[in-house]
Amino acid sequence: MFASQPIRTAAWLGLLAAACSPSARAQGAYDFPAARSFLDGHCQTCHSGSSPAGGFRTDPLHGVASFATHADAWISLAARVSNHEMPPTGVPSPPLDDRTAFVAWVERTWRSQACAAELPPTQSPIRRLNRDEYSATVRDLFDIQIDVSEMFPVDGAGGEGFDNAAETLFLSPLLAEKYLAAAKFVLDVAAKEFKSRTKIFVARPGPAMTETNASREILAKFLPIAFRQPVGSETVASYVRLTRRARRHGADFESSIFFALRSVLVSPAFLFHVRADAAAPASRQYALASRLSYFLWGSQPDELLLDIAAAGRMDDPAVLDRLVPRMLRDDRALEFFSRFSEQWLRIRDLEGSHGPDPKLFPEYADDAELRGDILLQPVFFFREVFRENRSVLEFLDSDGTVLTQPLITHLGLPLKKKQDAKNPNWMELPEGSRRGGLLGMPSISALTSHPHRTSPVLRGVWILDSILGTPPPAPPPDAPQLDESSEGKPVGSIRERLLAHSNSPGCASCHQRIDPLGFALENYDVLGRWRDQDAETPVDATGKLPDGTRLDGPDSLKAALLERKQLFLRNLAKRLLGYALGRGLTPSDTCAVETVVTEVERQDYSAWTLLREIVRSEPFLHTAFPRRRQE
Amino acid sequence: MPASRTLQISRRALLRGSGVLLGLPWLEATALGNRRTVPRPSPVRMAALYMPNGAYPATWTPTAAGRDFDLTPSLEPLADIRQQVTVLSNLWNEQAKDGDGHYVKESSILTCARIKKTQGADLRNGMSFDQIAAAARGHLTPLPSLELGVTPVAVGNDAVVGYTRVYGSHISWSTPTTPLARELNPRAVYERLFRAARGSSASEAGLDSLLLDRVLQDAKRLRKRLGSSDRNRLDEYLSSVRSLEERVQWSARTERSNWEPLTSLYLRDAPTERPSSHLEHVRLMLDMIAVAFQSDTTRVATFMFGNAVSNISFRFLDGVTSGHHDVSHHANEEQKLAEYKIINRWHVEQYAYLLRRLAAMPEGEGTVLDNSMVVFASALSDGQKHDPHKLPVLLGGKGGGHIDSGQHLIYGEDHPLANLYLALLQAFGAPAERFADSTGPLSGLLVS
Repeated sequence: MFASQPIRTAAWLGLLAAACSPSARAQGAYDFPAARSFLDGHCQTCHSGSSPAGGFRTDPLHGVASFATHADAWISLAARVSNHEMPPTGVPSPPLDDRTAFVAWVERTWRSQACAAELPPTQSPIRRLNRDEYSATVRDLFDIQIDVSEMFPVDGAGGEGFDNAAETLFLSPLLAEKYLAAAKFVLDVAAKEFKSRTKIFVARPGPAMTETNASREILAKFLPIAFRQPVGSETVASYVRLTRRARRHGADFESSIFFALRSVLVSPAFLFHVRADAAAPASRQYALASRLSYFLWGSQPDELLLDIAAAGRMDDPAVLDRLVPRMLRDDRALEFFSRFSEQWLRIRDLEGSHGPDPKLFPEYADDAELRGDILLQPVFFFREVFRENRSVLEFLDSDGTVLTQPLITHLGLPLKKKQDAKNPNWMELPEGSRRGGLLGMPSISALTSHPHRTSPVLRGVWILDSILGTPPPAPPPDAPQLDESSEGKPVGSIRERLLAHSNSPGCASCHQRIDPLGFALENYDVLGRWRDQDAETPVDATGKLPDGTRLDGPDSLKAALLERKQLFLRNLAKRLLGYALGRGLTPSDTCAVETVVTEVERQDYSAWTLLREIVRSEPFLHTAFPRRRQE
Repeated sequence: MPASRTLQISRRALLRGSGVLLGLPWLEATALGNRRTVPRPSPVRMAALYMPNGAYPATWTPTAAGRDFDLTPSLEPLADIRQQVTVLSNLWNEQAKDGDGHYVKESSILTCARIKKTQGADLRNGMSFDQIAAAARGHLTPLPSLELGVTPVAVGNDAVVGYTRVYGSHISWSTPTTPLARELNPRAVYERLFRAARGSSASEAGLDSLLLDRVLQDAKRLRKRLGSSDRNRLDEYLSSVRSLEERVQWSARTERSNWEPLTSLYLRDAPTERPSSHLEHVRLMLDMIAVAFQSDTTRVATFMFGNAVSNISFRFLDGVTSGHHDVSHHANEEQKLAEYKIINRWHVEQYAYLLRRLAAMPEGEGTVLDNSMVVFASALSDGQKHDPHKLPVLLGGKGGGHIDSGQHLIYGEDHPLANLYLALLQAFGAPAERFADSTGPLSGLLVS
């Protein structure tokens, strides 16, 4: 049962995450014989012979080369061991450390063997536009400056953690109702806009033109843009018929056109992303054009992209190489910069009631301008890196950052903006400013704090998850809130209380990984301002990572993260690929991720290389023809 | 483009989630007439209110069983309507006993199903009991059901426990794979109720169904070209559009022609879309349930006080210093426990508010509350322990005379919560013999 089925779940790709203490000893010494003896000791009894349990045999798994021939078997096996599903209850269970070391080894080895395995590419599921994509698309389609995203419920997120993931973009009666209402609203606005009307009414009935012909010309022009691919004359005719029926209901010519357009905006051909169609091979080109434009613009492809698709060159690497910088410099790329970075870094968590407590931090709550600048700083930093093709390592540390005058004042930097005080620009930072990279930003300090105080645990977990892509496992169900609790005894500083807990065996292995990262940032208060004292006590920003690295303050932490830059790069590459594909990654995407990582390392961590490699990757270019299952 | 414009646009983007005012194209403010001619029996309504993060058992559960049960500190706000309240003890949802501390429990509070651990790719829960009710009797009212909340869907995956946060943001599921989106904006709810109750004019309805008909054709054509997994998603779309089409044509249908609003709705009564506080927001949403029930625009509603692991700040309450989830991990510290209890009690106060509102709405010989069944439940008992046993569950109202209210019913250890839902479905008039892992309708609850 294992070997024949493609693995749908990508959860195991983050397995290392679920293992908190792959000690240096386990990592270094583990090799195939060790893994094989794990299998022999815990699996072989049931999973061998002529009628193995579940039809699954471990005997063919001999040697690292078997990863290429039996990839599915290795992957499902590791996933089940990691989830504690195997060995089953009732059979002696391997110690946690053995499990962890085995799973970590499988994951490492799989990364090195993924390309050799040549797994068939994963098919991306169909997905609808999310509310931001819908809003940006009607804005571009009608040339109107409105934001209708608020008319729809918030979309949940799945996949690699983004709200454009096919898996979690559901449809419900409420949404259908909203589509109908939004279509009416959008067209009411468009009907009053000169620019929209010019775009729509490319023909008018008159002495030389029948109404039907005018409708046909209008719709033949409009439909391919709205549906983001060529549209057959039969489809055009069906919408023309709709205008005629509206006329019979008493609509005048213009209203009959707007009525047909309303129908367009509720059609699945508009609401769903373009799919390649086996019956029309050219459609693959349009599917790619849409994938690229929704990736980098969050909106429909423009005429140039549609022309490239028409010429059949959307998958030409040379074309893609030139398109990426051009698209990044377009205003529409702001959709990508903001939506990706806000979700990657979890800046949206700061909205609503989760931000700094308004009673304790009125300087944040009452100053809309400063608050806006704090929230926008990482978005504009992200934009700067990707527009200007900086090194992606600047996210870890940088010599400059994006600043406005309110931010400069808030951070107490010895800088002054000569002009454009309110506009966020890149500025070089003075020596020793400790404001380079993401960790120097007040938004990051705030979103990794409780509303009323800083939290080394939240900060540590955030670094492990958002930066390194190795989130710690869930605390045991009965664990108290570690950094809050003192087991009934009101004693000491947060550090003392945390240390007490970290010494308890159930908590130690993870908190040794989490806490030092967070403590190194203790000099940043909830709003990211530098402090040497926390209340009466001097800040202690020292700590030691499990591998022995000593930390003292943010600069040492940044240096330690730069030592782990491959983890960071792989994490960023995976998230970008998941966002670009609008789905969660699967084992068949591992080869692409590793290829991207290698190439970006070779090109000095260039941001453009990263995006170019992603859009040239096999999963991105693979818009398989949907195959109908035999029925 | 000058940077200032860029900044402006993205500032706009930042307002996402804060209820930016949109000038909706407005319907004329006609009132719906109360043109009732034929008297009909009062309908039974059903609602479920969900509180995140559990309740502290010692101050929640009454000691005495029966009609003279003691009102614990958490239940005190129900004092004046205790005759309408049933306290249910020792219920649990066995399907939620393993997995993580929150998502498995909170997402299945109304489904009693075991949710699948996933970051989204193969989401699976069960069908929630409110949706079974809506499927059985939703055709009798303009809206089959109403799903409400106050906090947006939590975004992202909870990488730490390996579940998509989608689970924790939805309690109503129309199929095991389709969580229902909630409405968060009280004004939008009111307007929706109004539109649904008013129906559309014949010509509007004619045009709309023409349009939806066209759209369904497109969808069917697209469906032919898709593989089986993709068809499921498109079928979600098809059924959503179909249900909309049905609604559009409601005035022409026989069931609907018998429907009249029991009370009138006036657009001028639409509430604000920007409540100034959490309290006001919650109350407005509860008002919407009351209005919907009173007018009979729908008979099924669910409401979430927050998402799973909600950390809404309750510092607006005297004596509370932190967010809800933080406080629920009280570690038995005196201070934290005190805060946890204050928050528990606050939720019961809001529940009591809704019950009182319904009790103040006369209907036939009694009140709307007499004809309602309003569940209040959390998916954990002690938040500190993520305890799936002994769930805090209350029922308000008499369900049209079906519910023997005003007592504290104590069941045997680990009694299925699904039995409660089965009993409610039966009282509601939905033909159900089983629900999830039910073993029979909850004993002692229904009037025999």
